[in-house]
Amino acid sequence: MNSKLNRKAWLFIIPSVVLIAVFVFYPMIQAFFTSLQSGMANNLEFAGLANYKRLFNDSTFKKALFNTILYLVIQVPIMIILALVISSMLNDKKLKGRGLFRTAIFLPCVTSLVAYSIIFKSLFANDGFINAVLMNLNIISQPITWIADKFYARVLIIIAITWRWTGYNMVFYLSGMQGIDDSIYEAAAIDGATGFQKFKSITLPLLKPIILFTTINSTIGTLQLFDEVYNITSGKGGPANATITISHYIYNLLFRYQPNFGYAAAVSYVIVILIMILSFIQMKVGDDKE
Amino acid sequence: MKKKVLAALLAATMVFGLAACGNNSSNETTADTTAAASAETSADTSAPTDETTAAADGETITIWAWDESFNIVAANRAKEIYQAENPGVNVEVVTMAQDDIVTKLNTSLSSGSYDGLPDIVLIEDYRIQGYLTSYGDEFADLSSIVSADDFASYKTGVTQKDGVMYGVPFDSGVAATFYRTDLIEEAGYTQADMEDMTWEKYIEIGKAVKEKTGKNMLTLDPSDIGQIRMMLQSAGAWYTDADGNVTLADNQALKDAITIYKSMVEADIATQISGWDPFVGAFNNGDVASVITGCWIASSVKNAEDQSGNWAVAAFPKMEANSSSVNASSIGGAGWYVLKNVGHEATAVDFLGKTFASSTDLMNQLAADINLVSTLTAAESVENYSVGDEFFGGQEVFNDFAAWTQEVPTVNYSLHTYAIESIVAEAVQAIVDGADMDETLADYQAQAEAAVAQ
Repeated sequence: MNSKLNRKAWLFIIPSVVLIAVFVFYPMIQAFFTSLQSGMANNLEFAGLANYKRLFNDSTFKKALFNTILYLVIQVPIMIILALVISSMLNDKKLKGRGLFRTAIFLPCVTSLVAYSIIFKSLFANDGFINAVLMNLNIISQPITWIADKFYARVLIIIAITWRWTGYNMVFYLSGMQGIDDSIYEAAAIDGATGFQKFKSITLPLLKPIILFTTINSTIGTLQLFDEVYNITSGKGGPANATITISHYIYNLLFRYQPNFGYAAAVSYVIVILIMILSFIQMKVGDDKE
Repeated sequence: MKKKVLAALLAATMVFGLAACGNNSSNETTADTTAAASAETSADTSAPTDETTAAADGETITIWAWDESFNIVAANRAKEIYQAENPGVNVEVVTMAQDDIVTKLNTSLSSGSYDGLPDIVLIEDYRIQGYLTSYGDEFADLSSIVSADDFASYKTGVTQKDGVMYGVPFDSGVAATFYRTDLIEEAGYTQADMEDMTWEKYIEIGKAVKEKTGKNMLTLDPSDIGQIRMMLQSAGAWYTDADGNVTLADNQALKDAITIYKSMVEADIATQISGWDPFVGAFNNGDVASVITGCWIASSVKNAEDQSGNWAVAAFPKMEANSSSVNASSIGGAGWYVLKNVGHEATAVDFLGKTFASSTDLMNQLAADINLVSTLTAAESVENYSVGDEFFGGQEVFNDFAAWTQEVPTVNYSLHTYAIESIVAEAVQAIVDGADMDETLADYQAQAEAAVAQ
């Protein structure tokens, strides 16, 4: 009986395993071998660890790495906290129009990455809508050159990503909060807890697994950031590579300059290693038994 | 029961939708191979004007180019001329941004898939040597329709590899200073001041314009340092030396160019922008008083019809600090290339042969339509070149462009212009922010060498 069940179980699993092996693991291994080669376009020759050595001295790569980590460190916490706050506000059963608010905040997530990046590019242009509004409200006296300024270009990218992905995380937290019993909140209210204390001591600990999940998700997504940066900066990676991310740099190596597949593969392995390290850390941190 | 039926129906719709997407490509390729075979035999004679039967009926050739107001207009005029004699051939002209063309060519040629590639493609002079080195077998030999003597010498060098002509040189990228005469006069200067000027003088005029009119003098794009490229070529230098080795650290022309660039930023006469549209928008909207770039910008400048009569063209400024610098340079400029494995090589070669490689009528018409300064030697003195342009206050701009073209120093662009430039852009930004010039350049010299050492 047991072996029959086992066989059936394997039969169900095997198609997925085969597909994943062929379409995910095989390319990964082949990419690793490509990263050991170097050369222009199809003229690849074996080069050992030369590509990895080149990484250490590559200033554009270091800029890309710095930018990617900057986006990670600043944007992900802001987005998670914002999503938590919004979802706890929307969890209030007495709030009118909850459905409307939830839909409105989630709507950015269904937009096309390219479409919204291009719209942001035109909104934040020198003579765009945002500058017009800020000037009319007298908050600034000169239009801010959002896209051509090192600092503001990065701010713009962070604003764009936050706008788009907050709703996605909010939905996760809202559904998690449905699982928290109201009686716990009532008990806390009787004990005299304020809203903030309820949030900190009840909501957060109970949502911990979900917060962990969304943080890992966001980290992986931000590490692979490409679309927004590419479209907002017209493919160039910000004023003199000030906003370029690792994925964008890989794209440049392959399609803008004379293609060097080996080096691009080596750079992509850096992303793999980063993701592995960060996910490992986050799981360890989230795992401590109380 | 109803739910099951509904679910099954939805699933079936999705599957059919998926199946319907996949079937487009099978129709095109079969008809063309037979046509190409019959066209080959009659395409062997070398005089392009004699052939009347080279193209097969019903064939479609695709042309990719960028710049709606310039290259695309040229391709469409060529199409009109060609279709007048070969009505059976369909010519599809597609506008794509240059970056997109580069991306698609790299992707498709690397993977050897020709679906969706054009037959004729416009490629910039800075890039073509790289393509010819990476994908040498993909480009058709055009020796049958074009020879090096037919075109200006600084153009034919870039389209050749091992002595074989692979491209038809197209436009002259001769650089010029386009400026607003009304704003210059308001600032207290005359057109004579703009003639044969130096960059230092240009900055001085820029400051006056900013003071008296509040407008900036030009736009600068931190990621696209075309001004530096032009200044380098005006001094006969480049990011690489004659042998193709990277030379950033001991490059005096580069140092002079960056010094001027930095002074322009510090004098606050430049609007920082990013991308092509804001670049064109700035002078079309009257936000800047001048634009120094290739003569191909003329058609974009003319988009602002309300500014007609208020523009003039002067020579490219030279660098006073650098004795090799002259009042002439080039930027951009491209050529037409045929991808031979897409299936319509013979027709495409015939098309180019009858239009861009030989037709002085086409060059004459394009001179009027888009201010094209052709590099075809036979077209050196077509009649439209002697016509005064009303937009530029009656100035005979072509005679000026043609004269300056003769003075452009020839330079070897080598293979990796854009990769090196991306690195130089970072160096320039660092220097503008205050880093030491020699140290920064030495640093980035190592970077660039690693980047091209494939």
